[in-house]
Amino acid sequence: MDKRINRLELEAARCRLNVVRMLRASGHGHVGGALSAIDIVTALYFDTMRVDPENPQWQDRDRFLLSAGHKCLAQYAVLAEKGFFDKAVLDTYGHLKSPIPGHPDMHKLPGIEANTGALGHGLAIANGMAASAKLHKQDYRVYVIMGDGELPEGSNWEAAAQAAKFGLDNLVLFVDNNGLQISGKVTDVMDMRPIDKKFEAFGWAVTRIDGNDMGEIVGALDRIPLAEGRPNMILCSTVKAKGLVMGEGDASFHFWKPDMKDLDEVETILEKQVAYLQEVSEVTA
Amino acid sequence: MKIGEKYDPRKTFGKAVTGLAGNNEKVVVFSADSGKSSGFGDFIEQYPERYFECGIMEQAAMGMASGMATAGNIPVFCAIAPFVTCRPYEMFRNDLGYMKQNVKVVGRNSGITYADLGVTHQSLEDFAIIRMIPGVVVLAPQDPAEIVEAVKAMIDYEGPVYMRIGNPQIPVLFEEGPFEIGKGREIHDGKDVTIISTGSMTGAAMEAAGSLRKKGYDVGLIGMPTVCPLDEKMVREAAAKTGKILTVEEHYVDGGLGTMVAECVSDMENVRVRRMGIPKLYATTGSYEEILDFYNLNADGIIHQVMEFLH
Repeated sequence: MDKRINRLELEAARCRLNVVRMLRASGHGHVGGALSAIDIVTALYFDTMRVDPENPQWQDRDRFLLSAGHKCLAQYAVLAEKGFFDKAVLDTYGHLKSPIPGHPDMHKLPGIEANTGALGHGLAIANGMAASAKLHKQDYRVYVIMGDGELPEGSNWEAAAQAAKFGLDNLVLFVDNNGLQISGKVTDVMDMRPIDKKFEAFGWAVTRIDGNDMGEIVGALDRIPLAEGRPNMILCSTVKAKGLVMGEGDASFHFWKPDMKDLDEVETILEKQVAYLQEVSEVTA
Repeated sequence: MKIGEKYDPRKTFGKAVTGLAGNNEKVVVFSADSGKSSGFGDFIEQYPERYFECGIMEQAAMGMASGMATAGNIPVFCAIAPFVTCRPYEMFRNDLGYMKQNVKVVGRNSGITYADLGVTHQSLEDFAIIRMIPGVVVLAPQDPAEIVEAVKAMIDYEGPVYMRIGNPQIPVLFEEGPFEIGKGREIHDGKDVTIISTGSMTGAAMEAAGSLRKKGYDVGLIGMPTVCPLDEKMVREAAAKTGKILTVEEHYVDGGLGTMVAECVSDMENVRVRRMGIPKLYATTGSYEEILDFYNLNADGIIHQVMEFLH
C-alpha cells in the first residue's frame, strides 16, 4: 500500500474513534454526514493544508470551514488528532459550556474559522477569506465542505456566482454527495442534479471523486487549481455514516442516538482497523 | 460644515468613507449594485481593487464581507436599508453578530425616506430587529456633521455596526466634534418634560423644543445618535428629573428607540413614557414630507404631544 495513503487511512480511523468518543460523551450527534466527510477532512489536515496547531491564528494558514456545520464531529475529531486541543475536550461533547457544541463556534475552539450551522452560509464566508488572500497577495487556500442536502439554499448560488466573478482559484469546495438527508434521498427531497454541470455553468472548474477513497481525495487535491482563475469544486460521492457497520448508507443515521452496545461494536471494529493499518505502516516503513 | 447648510446624507457618508480609506488600507467596500447610489463613486475610481461589486445578492455580499473581516479587513457594505437588514437577517445575525466580525453595514434611504416607492423599500423596523442581535452597535446620526464623525467612530470601533442614513438633504444641526458610540447628546436641559429623539427626527425635535421653551415650558431634549447600546445613564437621569419622556423616531412606534427607553425606565417609579413614530402597519406612500405630516412626525406634532403630556 502507498505509504501516504496508508498513513492517511490510519489517521482517518483514529479520527473515527474520536467521533465515537464524542458520541459516548453526549449520547447523540449528527454522525451520518460527519462520517461521510471525515476522510476529506483528514486528508486536508494531515496531508494538504498548511496549518500550525501551536499557532492557529497564523495569518498565512490555509483555512478550512464547514458550510454544513452539523458535520462538526468530523472537524473536532480531526483537530483533536492533529493537536489543536487536548483530546479530553472530546469528552465534553453535549455537556454544559462545552467548547465543542453541536455546531462549531470559532470563539470557543482553536482551529474553527466560522460559526456555521444554519445552512448556505459557509461558501460566501470562504469567498471573503479567499478574496482577501488575492487582495493582499497571500498564497493561502480556503477549503469548504458543503452537504448535498444544503444545495437548495439560494445563498449558495449567490456565493457560487461570486467566487467565479472574483476568480477565486485559491478556493476549493467539496460537495459531500452522500445522497441522503434527514427526510430521505436528496434527489427526492429536492433534486439538484446535475450538480457538477450547475457549478460548471457558474464558471467553476469541477472534478468528481470517491470522497471516501484517500487516493482519489489527495489525487484531486494535488491537481488544485484545476484551472487558473476559476474556483474549484470537487464533487465527492460518499457513503453516509461511513464506518458504522449498522448505519452505512442509512438516512436514519443523519442524527444518531446510539446504544452503548452499538458504540462498543463500532469501537472494536475501528480499533482493529487502526491496529491493522498501524501494522501495515510499520511493514512498509 | 456650517450650521443650517444642507447636505445629501449618502454623498456625505460615501465621501467620509473614501477619505478614511486613503489612510486605512484595511477599508474595503461591498456593493450589491448599490455603490454609486451609496456615494462611492470616488472610492470606485480611487480604490478599484478594494471595491467588491457583488450584484444584487445581499446574502452572499454580507457573508463575503464577514469572511474578509476574518482576515483583518474592515468591510463597509451599504445598500437600501431593508435590503441589508431584513433580506440577509440570518447572515447579519450569524456571520456578523455571532462571529463578532468587524463589518460595517449601512442602510441608506432608511426610515420612510423612500416614501413613494412604498413598503418594500421603506425601513421602519431596522432598529427593532438589529438591536436584537447581541453585540451589534446601531447608529442613527442626526445631521451631516454627525454622519462624518459617526463614520470615523464606526471604522475605529472593533466589531459589527449597523448605521442608518436617509436620502433627502438634511441640515447641519451641530458643530463638528468627536462622536462617542453609546453616548447621547444633551441639547437642552429641562425640568418639565424630556424629548428623546434620534436620526432624522432630531431636527424637528429641536424646532419643537425651541418653540416650547420660548413659550416658557422648560423642555429638555436629548439627541440619541446611538440607538444601541442606549445611553441608559442619560435616559434614567432625565427620567428622574422630569418624570415625563417623549420619544420621537422615524421608525415603528414598536421595537425601536421608544421601546428601548420604556424598557430602560420600566423599574423607575413615577415615570411615564410617550412614544412617537409610525404605527406598525404597512405605511402609506406619497412625498416624504407628506408622509411625515400624515403621521404627525414634525415640529407641530411634537409640540402637540408635549402639550398633551403636560396638561
